[in-house]
Amino acid sequence: MVQYLVILLSDKSVPFCHYENKNTGSLLSLNDLKKGLRFSMFENLSVQYVFPNGELPREYLTAIEEVENVKIMPANSPYVGGADVMVFNGLENLNPQKTDVPFVVRLYREEFFEDYEKLLPLLDKTPHLSIVFKDLIKFGENDFKQYENVQESLSKQVEKLYVDGKIPQLNILTDRMYLDKMRNCNAGVESITLAPDGNFYICPAFYYNGEQPCGDPDSGIFIKNPQLLKLDYAPICRRCDSYHCKRCVWLNKMTTLEVNTPSHEQCVVSHLERNAAKSLLTAIRKHGEFMPQLPEIADINCLDPFKKIENGS
Amino acid sequence: MTAIKTTNKEWQYGLNKQITFIVTKDCQLACKYCYLVGKNINERMSFDTAQKAIDYILSREDEFKEESVVWDFIGGEPFLEIDLIDKICDYLKTEMYRLNHHWFNSYRFSFSTNGINYHEKKVQDFIKKNHEHLSIGITIDGTELKHDLNRVYKHSEKGSYKDVVKNIPLWLSQFPNAATKVTISSADIPYIKESVLHLYSLGIKEVNINCVFEDVWKDGDDKLFEKQLVELADEIIDKDYYKDYACSFYSEHIGKPMDIKLENQNWCGAGKMLSIDAAGNFYPCTRFAQYSLRSKKALIIGNVNDGIDKNKLRPFLTLDRTTQSPQKCLECDVASGCAWCQGENYDAAETPTIYQRSTAICLMHKARVRANNYYWNKLYRKLELEGERERYEQNKIVEPLKTC
Repeated sequence: MVQYLVILLSDKSVPFCHYENKNTGSLLSLNDLKKGLRFSMFENLSVQYVFPNGELPREYLTAIEEVENVKIMPANSPYVGGADVMVFNGLENLNPQKTDVPFVVRLYREEFFEDYEKLLPLLDKTPHLSIVFKDLIKFGENDFKQYENVQESLSKQVEKLYVDGKIPQLNILTDRMYLDKMRNCNAGVESITLAPDGNFYICPAFYYNGEQPCGDPDSGIFIKNPQLLKLDYAPICRRCDSYHCKRCVWLNKMTTLEVNTPSHEQCVVSHLERNAAKSLLTAIRKHGEFMPQLPEIADINCLDPFKKIENGS
Repeated sequence: MTAIKTTNKEWQYGLNKQITFIVTKDCQLACKYCYLVGKNINERMSFDTAQKAIDYILSREDEFKEESVVWDFIGGEPFLEIDLIDKICDYLKTEMYRLNHHWFNSYRFSFSTNGINYHEKKVQDFIKKNHEHLSIGITIDGTELKHDLNRVYKHSEKGSYKDVVKNIPLWLSQFPNAATKVTISSADIPYIKESVLHLYSLGIKEVNINCVFEDVWKDGDDKLFEKQLVELADEIIDKDYYKDYACSFYSEHIGKPMDIKLENQNWCGAGKMLSIDAAGNFYPCTRFAQYSLRSKKALIIGNVNDGIDKNKLRPFLTLDRTTQSPQKCLECDVASGCAWCQGENYDAAETPTIYQRSTAICLMHKARVRANNYYWNKLYRKLELEGERERYEQNKIVEPLKTC
């Protein structure tokens, strides 16, 4: 059931996931913004605004406050004081003007491998740090190995923080520790995006990459084959326990041509994170009791569940 | 003892890799039910493209692990490119031998032809040269009336029956166990019984027949279809054809409910097969090439230069029956044997997905099941009265339901 309405205020709204935005383009019209807000009220949807960098007309700033909302902003937004989520582009200028809100850092894998230590100071400043790879689909075998090594190194740092009594949260290391069932992005199932053209899309990536809209505030949400966005209809994912995986339906579509089928790269990266979470959880527990209600993460010998299906197991 | 002829199992069924070369998109005919909507005279495969595909495939023995291979050639009409095919087959044999490939001596060359130029010298020379590794099916739809209803020349719209039937004796003399493939569309239904019997009379002992998967059916077609199959069943049983002739419409395995967990496999082999076209593109099956698609873009999974994008194969290799089927199919009491074509599913789907099963064939399958039940009830009773039923049960060959 759809619960969230993501509203892209502009074509230049800050990308907060694997997709890129448009460098040029227009604002969501005020009329469409208001239609979207009324829709959210009729359908009981929580609104999440995605801000562009730069200023917005005053009437927009007034209109967006008509409903309770969450604001996703670029870290250098002039309105960042009101941000609920801050998005950083790359590892330069990681000087947050505001703390105590979730951070998203979007970067390329090479940047991450070379300079991941720059992320460590952020762990103290945010309740949750999300790393998002702009080039997840380009991970190769060597990258998987490097990723594993970097996670090991990061894990030691995070372990020390836990021992010091802090509870840092870094998506690629700790998200899986706290889960006992799937918690994926669920775009198109739990959330829908209102784009600057006034139409609904499954998520911002579908809009920015020229996919067909799935309704508008006047006519409602009409997703064709909506079942394929759900976990039960994803043959690889439904037997997987990388519960924290975004299960990004956009990356799925781009790489395998099916929204319900993840690529090898998405599966392996998620499994490396899962395994790193398992090791971290074990390491933390060696120092004393830590959230005993959390189940151990099982040992597995496969980084891509597709292989198990392919082998008939 | 009483024997009941069943359809022959495909060579190395379940153990082979089918690799299809779309050597041409041209054909002498313009069959009215043909799913190849984009046939043309321009897209002919070059030897260079075929060679690149072969080099790619044979150099990856660890990825193509199937015990055997069927090198399949289709068109359009494949025998229009007999010179190219001969060259490709020579290269395949040479390379499989040179590489000591595990497919050497476990291969077939397979053709599905309209039979029009079957008698020509180049085709016959090719057959003589490769006979022990050949499988050739000629498509003939039945009586002249039925055949010419659909299988007409592309310019004159003249029926092709006479030009095909004259080659049947030669074909059967070379491949006595050969089967023919018959396709049924709405307009063909009244001619089913006489067509199958006609094919038997030509000496063809196995008739593989199926309804098109496209949404072509009209109100009442299922009733007419059932009537034809019942009349055909009477003829086959009353005149003892069942002992020596087979018709794929009748199978003991169809028409049963299916377990959601235990019988969850996909019907179609798309993705396990590989097709290559003149441009050097790879497809999970020929039905995903652009010339086969009415409303969707070609689903290309790679090409001869860059190889196969394995990510694009993942949806095919993880596809199962329940995920793609609507609830009515999962609850269907006669589900077994109800076939689908992944390419047609893709083409007919509301979104570009292979995960939406088309059910255009639903009523036709149910009609087939009713007629099939009639067939077996009648045949069993006859065997009982003749004291042969028990012996039949003891000696019958239990084969899995043949899927695509």
